[in-house]
Amino acid sequence: MSVISVEHLSKEYQIAKKEKGLRGAVKNLFVARKTIVRAVNDISFSIEKGEIVGFIGPNGAGKSTTVKMMSGILTPSSGHVYVNGTDPQKERIKVVQDLGVVFGQRTQLNWDLRMGESFEMLKHIYRIDSGLYEENMAMMNEILGINEFLDTPARQLSLGQRMRGDLVAAMLHSPSVLFLDEPTIGLDVDGKYAIRKFIKEMNRKKQTTIILTTHDLGDIQELCERLIIINHGIIMEDGPLEELIDRIAPYKNLVVEYFDENAVEHEKAIILSHVGNMVTYRFQKADLTAAQLIHDISAQMRIKDVTIEEAKIDDIIRIAYGGKENGEKE
Amino acid sequence: MLAYRFDVFASIVFQCIVMFATSFFWKALYSNSDTVMGVGVQEMLTYTIISALMSIFLTTKVEDRVIESVRQGSVAMDMMKPINLFGIYFAEDLGYLTSLLFQNAIPIIVIGSLFITIPRPASWYHFLAFLGSFLMSFFINWFLSAIFAMWAFSILNMNPLVQAKRHIIRLLSGSIVPIWFFPSWLAKILNCLPFVYIYQLPLDLYIGKGTPASMLPRLAIQFAWLMILAAAFAILQKRVLRKVMVQGG
Ligand SMILES: Nc1ncnc2c1ncn2[C@@H]1O[C@H](COP(=O)(O)OP(=O)(O)OP(=O)(O)O)[C@@H](O)[C@H]1O
Ligand SMILES: [Mg+2]
Repeated sequence: MSVISVEHLSKEYQIAKKEKGLRGAVKNLFVARKTIVRAVNDISFSIEKGEIVGFIGPNGAGKSTTVKMMSGILTPSSGHVYVNGTDPQKERIKVVQDLGVVFGQRTQLNWDLRMGESFEMLKHIYRIDSGLYEENMAMMNEILGINEFLDTPARQLSLGQRMRGDLVAAMLHSPSVLFLDEPTIGLDVDGKYAIRKFIKEMNRKKQTTIILTTHDLGDIQELCERLIIINHGIIMEDGPLEELIDRIAPYKNLVVEYFDENAVEHEKAIILSHVGNMVTYRFQKADLTAAQLIHDISAQMRIKDVTIEEAKIDDIIRIAYGGKENGEKE
Repeated sequence: MLAYRFDVFASIVFQCIVMFATSFFWKALYSNSDTVMGVGVQEMLTYTIISALMSIFLTTKVEDRVIESVRQGSVAMDMMKPINLFGIYFAEDLGYLTSLLFQNAIPIIVIGSLFITIPRPASWYHFLAFLGSFLMSFFINWFLSAIFAMWAFSILNMNPLVQAKRHIIRLLSGSIVPIWFFPSWLAKILNCLPFVYIYQLPLDLYIGKGTPASMLPRLAIQFAWLMILAAAFAILQKRVLRKVMVQGG
């Protein structure tokens, strides 16, 4: 059974169109004109135990909306979500008992309580037994180093400290599913590193199923075995990153520096550019390997240096989002 | 911390001003008569102090809490917890009341006893009846507030309505002027609304106005209101949670 299954899920938001000015204000009282935004449009997917899935897409694509529906805090306009076989709309409490969520832009730590007190409160809310609580705190402190801020009220924490606190808060009760909505937003290099390490460890140690939305390419490359790409509320791609790269950019470039301006041609590679001693070849990964190409060329002419260029991940992502293909490496 | 301390101090001062102003008003009114509508000045002063005390225990945060968390979208975080959403708000209100007990209620009763009168109940029986009735008032008031708060899930700017509701309750519940001073047609209408069962009835019991026989039907009506509001709360809660709007992404 899938840990999460999403079936034909849609969400429409109604937005009251307001008219400007005093006249508009009076008018708004009587006729509320509404426009409908279809934020999520008939999406379906399922996620198995222990997967780390990157749920990515441009701003306004519908990621947060989907995550909210999967956590049972937003009612879908149509379609279904099942988390561990349970519909969060019908049995929210049962679902959230086994769910951890971090919304990078919000906090579940109580603003006025010390961070440690917020954790204590969660311990009671989720009825976490003391043994498990201590064990989880110790393990998470090892990666996130939160012990030093336990006595600081949440409102005095920096963004990165707060985010670490929120991750701990989400995982204290050892949920089997973790939703992370932009968990690395605004963090420095150390912060991102710690959080990525945390995500990997949780996934490895506890088989936690993790769904992650992010705009950070590093997160995507380091964490996500599988990507679900959404844009305009529609799923554009669903598969491993490598597969996506292979499909969108099934080629590599080889830049060869010769000793003079003469260059060798190759039947399975095209020459993209030839400037002075520098020649850029492009070959299809399916036809040829870089090693073979270098071997073939150097058999005919002496070469000084080579560089292998792969398609840039951000270009791939941009193309997958449905952007133009002009981001290619020339 | 300083801001909090000032808040607490300001609220005590404000409550004292209302209490003193009302008691001066009653003293002036009673200056040339011993009893009005069968109530003496002593009872009226007791009424004033107990009403001030009750108003402390009838402060609810639930509306502000819901309005704020819906507006800022933090209601999402509340709904992520494996507990009833309004259960959270109720628990928070109880916690808040506990702090008010020490911060406001004790100062008010001490100041009232020292400078106005010692607010003695009519008898021990009356005191017990008051406690029972006040417990029901507390829940009537909380359910009313919670039902109001539910509107905040669909109306984004609820603050004016909440303010209006608070003033209406204060005026129409007999908390400042007992409704037996109101014109009888108005008193009749008010007796059909839930508000008088928040302040007036427990206060009447405390000062011993009315016979036990006349009190029992009123207690029954109070209980009926409690049940009606509890049922409305339960039904609305289900509906409201289904269409929660979570703002911001
Ligand atoms: N409460 C709301 N009311 C009306 N429209 C909304 C609401 N929340 C989101 N939307 C709209 O729904 C669409 C999807 O929003 P959503 O927050 O899901 O995007 P997202 O993929 O999370 O974007 P981002 O990467 O910027 O966080 C947007 O067009 C947004 O304007
Ligand atoms: Mg978002």
